[in-house]
Amino acid sequence: MNSNPRDPMTSESASSPAEETLRLIASLPAPEGLERRVQSLLDAVPHRGRVLAWPQSFRPESGWMRSAAAAAIVFVVAGGGWGVYTRVENTHFDQNQPAKVIVMPARIPSGFGGAGAIRTPETLPGPKAPEPVKVSPEANPARPKTAKKPIAIHKPSNGEASQPDKPAAEAGAPR
Amino acid sequence: MMSTSQAIVAGIAAEWMENPTSAALNEEARQRAEDHALAAMVDQYASALYRVAYSVLRNQADAEDAVQEAFVRVLRHRDSLGEVRDHRVWLIRIVWNIVLDRKRRAKTRPETDDVAELARVLPSTGLSAEELAAAAQHHAHVLGCVDRLPAKERQVLMLSAFEELSSVEIASVLGISESSVRSRLFRARNLMADLLDHERSLR
Repeated sequence: MNSNPRDPMTSESASSPAEETLRLIASLPAPEGLERRVQSLLDAVPHRGRVLAWPQSFRPESGWMRSAAAAAIVFVVAGGGWGVYTRVENTHFDQNQPAKVIVMPARIPSGFGGAGAIRTPETLPGPKAPEPVKVSPEANPARPKTAKKPIAIHKPSNGEASQPDKPAAEAGAPR
Repeated sequence: MMSTSQAIVAGIAAEWMENPTSAALNEEARQRAEDHALAAMVDQYASALYRVAYSVLRNQADAEDAVQEAFVRVLRHRDSLGEVRDHRVWLIRIVWNIVLDRKRRAKTRPETDDVAELARVLPSTGLSAEELAAAAQHHAHVLGCVDRLPAKERQVLMLSAFEELSSVEIASVLGISESSVRSRLFRARNLMADLLDHERSLR
């Protein structure tokens, strides 16, 4: 015999007390006069007032509302398209008309002002080369116009190298 | 000479002003027909709605209030009665939502009240007072176990106790699929078996 509580049939039979109780409650008869009490309550509830009724031609069932909505949509779409068309035509094809010039305001009337300050950019002064001196030959006549001899290069000895300022006779004298 | 638009406007005005009685009569007839339909629904479904409400609320006065509230809601939306396919399931759904809302808002009553109420309403034919009290005690104990189920499983189990509701109709009342109803019912039965076994082992 299958006694597994997880089995659907067994679990159904195990929970049958619960379902029997629920079925018992679900089958309890309604109290006497329930329908009459509900009906009297509904009669006491004020019905929704209908002061004005649509005339037969304006009834929503006649479809005029749908037609009016469709006409309104067509009107809006066509009007918008016509407006765009006319503006585009004016912009592209009326070239004889002077273009509109929007003058920018010279100074914003409100807001912060510069108080007359002039901004000077911070730049470093560049290097200045001295003017080259031009010496003309007429200005210095004492100078010979001969070609310069090559200057002999004096090679100093070791002793002279240590005392370069002493005269040559003094350097060779014994002490 | 009258133009076409003027003629139309004049015709509408004439219909409005000279023939108001026909529109009013149509409206009155429609309202009367709706009243008759509503009265027929009350006669046909009030007791079923009461049993649904009582299975959740377990109180006679509360259940009757719920039924009345359900029909007042129907009265307010009676213009859309023609769009309803199954009035019975639609009404059960309305009263189901009402009683769940009331149950949620109500304070939890002590279990002894339920037992006393059950002892009062249970059929007592052929039962002694002691047997009736024992039966009421047993049913109250079982209902206590039902109350401990998760809400989804509990709702399906309670609605499945109504013989006249199929699984498709339960699914329609709860707004779920039929397969969900079946799986929830299966889980509810298993959980109830566990709870009852647990209670028995404690005794």
